Amino acid sequence: MPAEMKGRIAALLVGTLLATSVATAAPKIPRLKSGKPDFSGIWETTSAAEYDLEPHSGRADAPPSAGVIDGKYIPYLPAALEQKKKNFAARATEDPRLKCWTLGTPRGIYYREPFQIFQRDRDLTLLFQFGHSVRTIHTNGTLHPEVTDNEFYLGDSRGHWEGDTLVVDVTDFNTETWLDRAGNFHSPKLHVVERWRFLDENTIEYRATLEDPEVFSRPWTLSVQLHRHREKDFQLIENYCFTLGYDEFYPVPQQGTTE
Amino acid sequence: MMANSMNTRWLVKVATAAALLAGTQAHAQQPPPGAGIQREKTVPAIESGKWTGKRLADGQPDVQGHWSNTIANHNNWTDPQGGVPGDPGRNGPPKTPRSERAPSRVSDPADGEVPFQPWARAVQQEFLQFFHNPIKEQYVEPLARCAPAGVPKSFTWHGYEIRQFPGYVLFLFNSGTRVIHLDGKPHLPENIKLWNADSRGRWEGNTLIVDVTNNNAKARLARTGEFFSDNVHIEERYIFNAEGTRYNYVATITDATVFTRPWTTTIPARRFTLEDEPDGWHYEVAYANQPPGKPPLVERYERICVENNGPFGNVAVLGAR
Repeated sequence: MPAEMKGRIAALLVGTLLATSVATAAPKIPRLKSGKPDFSGIWETTSAAEYDLEPHSGRADAPPSAGVIDGKYIPYLPAALEQKKKNFAARATEDPRLKCWTLGTPRGIYYREPFQIFQRDRDLTLLFQFGHSVRTIHTNGTLHPEVTDNEFYLGDSRGHWEGDTLVVDVTDFNTETWLDRAGNFHSPKLHVVERWRFLDENTIEYRATLEDPEVFSRPWTLSVQLHRHREKDFQLIENYCFTLGYDEFYPVPQQGTTE
Repeated sequence: MMANSMNTRWLVKVATAAALLAGTQAHAQQPPPGAGIQREKTVPAIESGKWTGKRLADGQPDVQGHWSNTIANHNNWTDPQGGVPGDPGRNGPPKTPRSERAPSRVSDPADGEVPFQPWARAVQQEFLQFFHNPIKEQYVEPLARCAPAGVPKSFTWHGYEIRQFPGYVLFLFNSGTRVIHLDGKPHLPENIKLWNADSRGRWEGNTLIVDVTNNNAKARLARTGEFFSDNVHIEERYIFNAEGTRYNYVATITDATVFTRPWTTTIPARRFTLEDEPDGWHYEVAYANQPPGKPPLVERYERICVENNGPFGNVAVLGAR
């Protein structure tokens, strides 16, 4: 064996030993070459958060859940609480999800369809199966746009690392999204701070703190776990369900169907 | 309200800032819709061969960045710079002889025509006949309703970004997102039909070769109405030049239920970089807001279109006025 290769193997062994000793202290998680946690993969929550973030009994359109909010309930301002009640009453027709519109941030994260994360040093690309829309979380030190009247479904996302936690600041929202099927909502002043971290290599803890001076009396935090899809050959299947409303007009032409 | 319109408003602002940044004339503004589309008359030859350029850590040729076609939009598949036949507006019949316009996107057969079976030619002609006067829903092009442009039309519709990851190449189009799997997973079951189809690729030298199945065949290839069926099989070759500045999209389209023979389409594309100015069509980017002292950087911004019911004529959806 050439000396160079011996040296490499020795280095590898030492590296492995070091890694093992570190692993006893912290969970072994996938990492990019840069050393940052690598969230690449296909993820989905098993929680009932998207039905209703708050604690609720089972009902016809939602399984029961103890909720996912620190402090149980969303601290609405009085007028906003009235609006939330109206939304709840009209949820069977007014939920933007029913039009298959992009669900927004954070709702897209805990919606019960998978999304895929593709990660580079400069950014994370989140591709949602539902609507097949793309959210980019920039991790290259860039700032929110100077223009302050942008209105995005998914917001403008700028992330940075605090140890192994990805912290993402999200602003510049439109008002076309709800937070869940129960009519919880926000204004364009919504500001979200997300914290993403691995609990183990196949589980992410996702926390989002929501602040909105027009709707909430104080910032509040929700939390869900995201699980890695590990089924054989599992992949996203694009779900452009907003096209279903006009699908009937576009049958594939067949011989003999010309008018 | 359409999300894209808001994005455009933003773009105008950043484009002005970009003009200042780039040291160009301060009066530079976003061109009016339809203006500024590339009008190259020829398609450069690019041979498949070795890749000598930059590679990513996983060994893929590095072709990440912003790209767009160089000859025309999707008005007309076989006469790309000839406009939509029957256009009642300012873009009437072309004023130049055919030989002075870019060649057909059909590179085989040599006559540049899609080898339709007679019944299929009739279907294409019917769509074209009603394109400017869509008296029925079916004559409204799905793209006009925000449907994904699909394969291969997306390559003629606005600029797009390529992002690469171990096992994947992503195309972020103006309308739709496409994932090319390099991960060796099998195609989806054949009864699943998708706007962007199902793509399995591999790199051979400077060429990305992609096998495309599961196409829902609902997107017309162009406003001229060309189409195939959901039996279509497409074999794509993306052939990049040595400098990484251009590529040709060369795809063989096989569908025995619609065509008399397989045919090949060629769509030339070029890379857009910091040397270029964002133009709202080929190069739909914004300058990132960098901390002081950092060099300029472009980034794609959210592009979501879910409710654009504004087809040509605005008749089928909004009702006759």
